Amino acid sequence: MAQHREEKTELKTFSEEQSSLWLIALGPTIWALHFIACYAATAVVCAKLDRLAEDGWLLRAMIGTATAVALALIAWTGWRSWRQWDFLDDRDHVHHRPVTEHRHEFLGHASFLLACLSFVGVLYVALPAVFVTGCV
Amino acid sequence: MTDTTDHRGRNPGGRNEPRDAAEAHGDAYPPTDAMLDAPVDPDFAKASADRLRAAWKTPTGWRYLSAVNNSEVGAWYSLTAFFFMLCAGVLALLIRVQLAVPENDFLPADTFNQFFTMHGSAMMFLFAVPMFEAISILLLPAFLGARDMPFPRLSAYGYWCFLIGGVFVLGSVLFGVGPSSGWFMYPPLATKSEGMGADIWLLGLSFIEVASIAAAVELIVGALKCRPPGMRINLMPLYAWYVLVVGGMILFAFPPLIAGDFLFELERSFDWPFFDPERGGDPMLWQHLFWIFGHPEVYIIFLPSIAIAAMVIPTAAQRPIFGYSWIVLSAVGTGFLSFGLWAHHMFTTGLPALSLGFFSAASEAVVIPTGVQIFAFLATLMVGRVTWSVPMLYIAGSLAIFTAGGLTGVMLALAPMDWQVHDTYFIVAHLHYTIFGGMVFPVMAGVYYFYPFFTKKQMSPRLGRWAFWLAFAGFNVTFMPMHFAGLMGMPRRVYTYPGDIGWDLPNLISTVGAFVVAAGFLVFAWDLIRPKGRQPYTARNPWGGGTLEWSHDVPDQAWGVRSIPYIESRYPLWDQPKIVERMDAGRYYLPDAEEGKRETLVTTVLDAVPVQCLRVGGPTWITHLAAAFTGGAFIFPTFHWYPPAIVCGVLAVACVIWWLWTGTARPPEKTHKEIGLGLTVPIYVSGPAAPGWWGMWITMLADATAFASLIFGFFYFWTASADFPPDGAAHAASGWVWAGAAALTVSWALTRYARRANRAAQVGIARASLATAAALTALGAGAMLWSAHSAGLDPTSHVYPATVWAILVWTAVHVSAGCIMQLYCLAGSLFGKLTPEYDADLWNVSLYWNFMAATVLVSAAVVDLLPGMI
Amino acid sequence: MRVRLRIRAGVASACALSLGGCTGVQSVLDPAGADAEVLATLFWVLLSGAVVLWLLLNGAFFYVTRMRVRPHSRKIGEAVIIGAGIAFPTVLLAILLSYGLSIMPDQRAPGDGLTVRVTGEQWWWRVEYLPQDGGGPVVSANELRLPVGARTEIKLTAAKVIHSFWVPNLGGKMDMFPGRETRMALEPTRTGVFRGQCAEFCGTSHALMAFPVVVLPPEEFEAWLAKEREDAAAPADAAAERGREVFLAEGCGACHAVRGTPAKGAVGPDLTHVGGRRTIGAGTLPATAEGFGQWLARTDHIKPDVRMPTYRALPEQDLIDLATYLKGLR
Repeated sequence: MAQHREEKTELKTFSEEQSSLWLIALGPTIWALHFIACYAATAVVCAKLDRLAEDGWLLRAMIGTATAVALALIAWTGWRSWRQWDFLDDRDHVHHRPVTEHRHEFLGHASFLLACLSFVGVLYVALPAVFVTGCV
Repeated sequence: MTDTTDHRGRNPGGRNEPRDAAEAHGDAYPPTDAMLDAPVDPDFAKASADRLRAAWKTPTGWRYLSAVNNSEVGAWYSLTAFFFMLCAGVLALLIRVQLAVPENDFLPADTFNQFFTMHGSAMMFLFAVPMFEAISILLLPAFLGARDMPFPRLSAYGYWCFLIGGVFVLGSVLFGVGPSSGWFMYPPLATKSEGMGADIWLLGLSFIEVASIAAAVELIVGALKCRPPGMRINLMPLYAWYVLVVGGMILFAFPPLIAGDFLFELERSFDWPFFDPERGGDPMLWQHLFWIFGHPEVYIIFLPSIAIAAMVIPTAAQRPIFGYSWIVLSAVGTGFLSFGLWAHHMFTTGLPALSLGFFSAASEAVVIPTGVQIFAFLATLMVGRVTWSVPMLYIAGSLAIFTAGGLTGVMLALAPMDWQVHDTYFIVAHLHYTIFGGMVFPVMAGVYYFYPFFTKKQMSPRLGRWAFWLAFAGFNVTFMPMHFAGLMGMPRRVYTYPGDIGWDLPNLISTVGAFVVAAGFLVFAWDLIRPKGRQPYTARNPWGGGTLEWSHDVPDQAWGVRSIPYIESRYPLWDQPKIVERMDAGRYYLPDAEEGKRETLVTTVLDAVPVQCLRVGGPTWITHLAAAFTGGAFIFPTFHWYPPAIVCGVLAVACVIWWLWTGTARPPEKTHKEIGLGLTVPIYVSGPAAPGWWGMWITMLADATAFASLIFGFFYFWTASADFPPDGAAHAASGWVWAGAAALTVSWALTRYARRANRAAQVGIARASLATAAALTALGAGAMLWSAHSAGLDPTSHVYPATVWAILVWTAVHVSAGCIMQLYCLAGSLFGKLTPEYDADLWNVSLYWNFMAATVLVSAAVVDLLPGMI
Repeated sequence: MRVRLRIRAGVASACALSLGGCTGVQSVLDPAGADAEVLATLFWVLLSGAVVLWLLLNGAFFYVTRMRVRPHSRKIGEAVIIGAGIAFPTVLLAILLSYGLSIMPDQRAPGDGLTVRVTGEQWWWRVEYLPQDGGGPVVSANELRLPVGARTEIKLTAAKVIHSFWVPNLGGKMDMFPGRETRMALEPTRTGVFRGQCAEFCGTSHALMAFPVVVLPPEEFEAWLAKEREDAAAPADAAAERGREVFLAEGCGACHAVRGTPAKGAVGPDLTHVGGRRTIGAGTLPATAEGFGQWLARTDHIKPDVRMPTYRALPEQDLIDLATYLKGLR
């Protein structure tokens, strides 16, 4: 019985640790999925649906939709991490103390910055669709 | 210090109450000042120091080679990588001599091609990546106040694999049979090349890649689980952050190359036409797999060097790094973005302009985090008070060179610019600027900076400046003209060129410069290895650094730290005044080795609360045997000697099993142990708290990535060719595919069930489940293979049957390994190594099988369902 | 005519026969094509920006480490990271990226007249002109002639391994794959002789895979193409006549085609008008009688691992006659 409880605590701690670490990776992961979606859509449409690709609107619509979804998700991640950072309470952005609060806010801060970077990254990756039409 | 929370992490009325393992320790953790001020009994201190010294004693005489401690293995590793770098540098000089004047006949064409192929391959696979691993193995435990890496024998095994593989690959050049198709090994040139050069490259380097992944797994686990108590994730030295990021990148970057090597070698050895356009294959698939590895690789070698700068700069500025979170952001951000760049090596392959645009965009985006790192360093130096030193000289040189390479990188990231200068000497110049500035010079800075830590002696500042100015000036003389040669149209990898189109002068200047660089390296190498016996020991902390590596005693002790401290700051030596004194006194954790065993602390991932006293392996020869047989299994096939290769493979597996059986997860003589300051932790843990479980998890991420790359290959062939699968092609027999999948899924379920049953002390049921599972695994693997064989799929006829076979073989080999693991656990249960209390092996094996279940189902779906759908 | 066979063999550039210095015949910075001009401008813009940024960054580093080493305020540090590290690069890179992307579609624009199919072989170029007015392909090798002012579509493929087609003065490069067709277009803006070269490593003699590109006024190009379409010229004198007999007797026709003769091989370059080209051996030797002689006598020495056997064993007079014949195939 004691064994069993120990095992459960282990798993619980692990999953809490994991979710906090995952938040850091969430923004860039959304960026990566958006990137793969754009790349795969172009590859498949250009290779298999050449006729539909000619005027370029199909691809633009697909990339536009993916971009909107990705930006919304990253914005949500950013909002969550901004809350976790909780900058406005003490204006702290150094997080160098050995306390749980600093660890917690540090992870929020790093996740927030990564969400910002991912936001810019998604915008960059969507930019080609503005300038290039079709599968030339 | 406006913080209102108290120092010990208790946050009265706070929102984020710690709900972690710290509570389980009650009042004993974290330690109070009173506890730390209590004196240590001098008799105990002396006796425990003797016991600790005995447990960590480095073997002497010829037994020295059986050492596994990180300080020995790390030193061998670094020196070997440095030696391989010098060899590859000699090849570069020979290349430069050949190109000094037009129409030179110093080297024959084929020799020249072998040399540049080997120069690139050796610099990348035998120097840059191993050097990161070597330095990290050497330094990381010291940064973390740990005694050793979590799996020291794994690092030793990795080192011996690296040594054998490196000597084999480099040695081939001496016999004139080296690979000659370029370090990127593009098929069909490389698949059709005669001789064994390409096989040496593929098998020799695959062998080293496996060792690299092993090191990456260990480094990640080290940074996550072997930090000192109290070193929460926001207090980790930046180097550890970079190790995490780079380790993660290795896990996702190397497997696609390993999958590519697997396909490539199947084509070369057995004529399975993955890259042969005449039978539906596509040489572009290799380019994708190679560069999915190849571009992150650039950042894999760049980030660790930046990490060295991140340790040197705060010391030079005598203040904490400015913008810690920003640097973490940029490390993680660079790690991710660097995976979206691979096709910028393929800008001229005729991909749709839109696709090129995505890669162009990502290539520009990655500049942002890279820039943030540089500006964070600049800001640190601005707000600090800089003391100039030889390491800082190298950092300044690296900045000058790296920014030049980075700025040409910004140019090249624009696809149209690349259409002109791709595969010209402009690229040669660009990549050497980034690698010298981003890797070689920071590593040299690191050597000057950390040398007193490694040896307790100083390198000569005078020689250091000579080496710097020779290498720096020589470098620019060599590579600056190459930009010009490239713009004048000179392609890469040409062994000769005409004399009347303006390439002769820049090439002659480059050759002269190359010898100046070589002189700089000679001075550096001499300074590194010259005897320093009569020089007095350096001070303990000669640069006034703030991180834990400078707490090591002079002369150094094999135990690393006398006791493992409780950490409250990013720069404990600056902020925790009595820390070194208390460490030396044995006041902190694990000051003793009562049982004479090597032990280190395992802590939680986020808050570094101690959870286990981990016993790590000591000196052994089993790693050498395992490495030698693994080497045989990879090296014999290059000569097409398959029977000895198979024998070696079997013996290698046997060695590994012996090593695991005798050295890991042995039931301890007692469940818990007092580790000092009134804290008692378990000696044996299993599941997610155990480093072994994390090691398995991380390894399987890499394995899953390799498998995903194979599946990517299937989809790639579908998009790239009009007839995949070809009309009327034979398909794997549905019934057998799903029969196999069902058997393997049941095997997975039984393995998991065995773990639960074993925990619940139903040992008989657990054993029966494992035995049944192993039998089902064998049947399932057989059924999967039979599905292709019975349907008459001929893998040499077309790429479609070849791909189906490759996926099935991959799956069968993996579940076979799973079968061995099931039998290992069964044997463990029968012979008392695995009990209801001590079941780490079973946890790890069921984790492995979780991945296997996914692999099997994906394989079955791709092989059987997909061809009908597409 | 006496041909000296033992002069030093070497690599000849495409302009080996032209007057004056040849610097710039293979240069990105000396554009002679619409695409190359855009790319040269792009380069100069990027270079000037890069030089300024390099000076600023390294100057700042020098300043804080060597000139003013006392601490600055934290505010300045923050401003440096946020302003110079984030805001400025984000905006600048977005502008550069847009600039780069905006010129891609034009660079990929299709041709509007002639189409040329070029196949990369180890280590030479098979060239086929496919004029718009039909009439079947005109087969040639190792030299490309283009009309000035028109956009010529170039279809690219390869026989065995990957090569890359590149004429820096006219435009960017494009890889050539076995079993796959890639394309590009070139639009020369001035006449002249330029040099192209294989830019993807393709084996032992990758370095010796170049070709001259001759840009002609449109009417001259049409006249040349009409002549190129014709069968080979008859031998002009007795030596050339003997050379033709040697050519056929030695079985050269198994690999090479000379239209209008029994030689119909398609393994090696078409030699129908080889004497009228500027170079032989894919930009390796000048297409002079001496050049032909050297090539025949020292083939594997000049171009390592080449598939063509060496005819060193032929009597010297046969070699001289053969060279005379080939030079006469204008």
